Amino acid sequence: MREPIDPPGLDFHRVSAKLIPLRFITLGIGALVVILIGSLPLVLRTLGSWQKFPGALAWALAIAALLAMGWRLALIPRQVRAIGYAERDDDLLIRRGLFFQRVMVVPYGRMQYVDVSVGPLERAFGLASVKMHTASASTNAALEGLPTDEAARLREQLSARGEAKLAGL
Amino acid sequence: MTLSPPAPAGFQTDAAEQWHRVHPVSPLVRGWVAVVGVMVLFGRNSFEDMLRSASSGRDYGQQGPPVWLILTVVAAAVVVFGVAFFLSWYFTRYQVTDDQVRINSGFLFRQQRQARIDRVQAIDVVQPLLARIFGLAELKFEVADAGRSAMKLSFLKMDEAKRLRAAILARASGLAVDPTLTGTVAEAPEREILALSPGRIVGATLLSGITVAALVLIIVLGCTVLWLRSWAALAGLIPMILGLAAAYWKSFSADFNFRIALSPDGVRLHYGLLETRAQTIPPGRVQAVGITTNPLWRLVGWYRVRVNVAGYGTDRRDRGGRTVLLPVGTAAEVLTVLGLVLPDPGVGKPGEIFSAGFAGSGDGSGFIHSPRRARLIDPFAWRRNAYRSTETALLCRRGVFFRSLEVVPHERTQSLSLFQGPLMRRLGLVDFELHSTAGPVTPVVHHMDVHEARRLFTEQSARAARARRIGRPDRWMSLTHPAYGGTAAGSNPVATSCPKNGTAQDTEVQHER
Repeated sequence: MREPIDPPGLDFHRVSAKLIPLRFITLGIGALVVILIGSLPLVLRTLGSWQKFPGALAWALAIAALLAMGWRLALIPRQVRAIGYAERDDDLLIRRGLFFQRVMVVPYGRMQYVDVSVGPLERAFGLASVKMHTASASTNAALEGLPTDEAARLREQLSARGEAKLAGL
Repeated sequence: MTLSPPAPAGFQTDAAEQWHRVHPVSPLVRGWVAVVGVMVLFGRNSFEDMLRSASSGRDYGQQGPPVWLILTVVAAAVVVFGVAFFLSWYFTRYQVTDDQVRINSGFLFRQQRQARIDRVQAIDVVQPLLARIFGLAELKFEVADAGRSAMKLSFLKMDEAKRLRAAILARASGLAVDPTLTGTVAEAPEREILALSPGRIVGATLLSGITVAALVLIIVLGCTVLWLRSWAALAGLIPMILGLAAAYWKSFSADFNFRIALSPDGVRLHYGLLETRAQTIPPGRVQAVGITTNPLWRLVGWYRVRVNVAGYGTDRRDRGGRTVLLPVGTAAEVLTVLGLVLPDPGVGKPGEIFSAGFAGSGDGSGFIHSPRRARLIDPFAWRRNAYRSTETALLCRRGVFFRSLEVVPHERTQSLSLFQGPLMRRLGLVDFELHSTAGPVTPVVHHMDVHEARRLFTEQSARAARARRIGRPDRWMSLTHPAYGGTAAGSNPVATSCPKNGTAQDTEVQHER
């Protein structure tokens, strides 16, 4: 599935499919909270403690929360599959996004440092996140859901190449 | 530890155990606000009592505290401040060795800072009003941490500050230090390039957004008076009027007497009415340049030039004043200033091309703009959204009411990205973003054709990689690039024309490489 903004002639590595259940869990918790809050007027009204609240609005709120969260959750598999990265000779390419797509190229010679972080949930799934920092604050080059050994390999690779390219400002 | 007397001529770098102290008056210059605050706090009560008893004409000395108490408090304050100031002065020491600057300060909470001289991004010599009275100056130098912290030396004698600046800059620029001279550096001479008249600053202030706010305020005032039929309504707006006056004053006094000079160790900016500042941006430290204008300034053809320097960051204090390279200038002046920070435009007829960048529209001078279908989401600016690349830099143009041109040298490119939202996807458009260090200039080309943007993306990353590999030799001294019009040395830089005779052949189609 090549998107129109992807540079031609490149095969992106995809991140681990285990990121899908991981994101389901993290987003699911948030979604549950939103849905609970959204359906609060409906529950209170049905229980009779908030009779004055208009019934249609209460239903609308609950359904809107449910739909929005359902939509977000339904998008996760495709969003995860849209994340990709490719190592070239001089730079690293990262792509992400489904509706709002972004392709970013980060030169090895411009990387200041590389972060590898593992949260408790990520550890349970055997995943890690890699974040590359340049001197620019707008370089938001982060890769989630890499298998731990792939993250370690990428980190070593990036620092070795950064050194070879004489990283500077 | 030995405290050496100031070197008579030139500058000697310090040995490892040689330290200097700042000027003894500096704690007072720094802390006078605290002194005044305490004086007001303690003084107000007794002063009010005095007034009250004076106005009532009786009860002399009955309500206020006795004189001896006041005197004791004053004496205690003097002692406390004196001791604090003495300790602060005594424990602040600095040294400049051949490759490090070290500053130790603090009595209870000690701080030791050191910075590698070759990492210094820019140096300011700041003189607040009180320091000017004493002939002192603060030396402030930035390393590349996006403006989060700066190393400060406050305060030094003006001469000493200038000598230190020269020494640090000479090493920062990688000047070969003759080992036989044991690190003596002469101060680099300055050559004035451009000075803004007070009239220009007043004009620019009057035509700024403050005036728009003032006009809105006047309309609101008029309506309120008409509606309430009472002048009393005006009283409520007094704070706003004061605020506007303060904004005018600040804008005027900050940019007053703005001068740009060139010295071998960098571009030097002088400005300020009460607090004066001399800013030095060493060669090759400019990461990106942005030229902007607003609808009012366009009536008179004025522009503002800002730069990204890694040490300045976004600098939200002082309303971003330090990132301004030229607060207001004509097109010719803008080109002169561009010649200072981009000595090699990498194209023939740069005057024409850069003018097309900050003033022009359409596809003249080799600019490639958004396709016609972009007018659906960008009805006014689609012919302004454009880019053009030269041998050495990428020019990004955008905005139709608030016009701007961003120039990034290829070797300063940090990273690139393409962005596409759902609507742009339907129309086959893409935003091209170029990431520079933190600062006021954020280069972006909006709504390019997909294929065009993808090609720009590929080519630009290749160009940036090549520029990084080659690395530009330090051409700072050979500044007078004839292509800009050769105005840098002129004594009358305002009357600059942009001659059509470029030195290099103009590349009309820029994607042949």
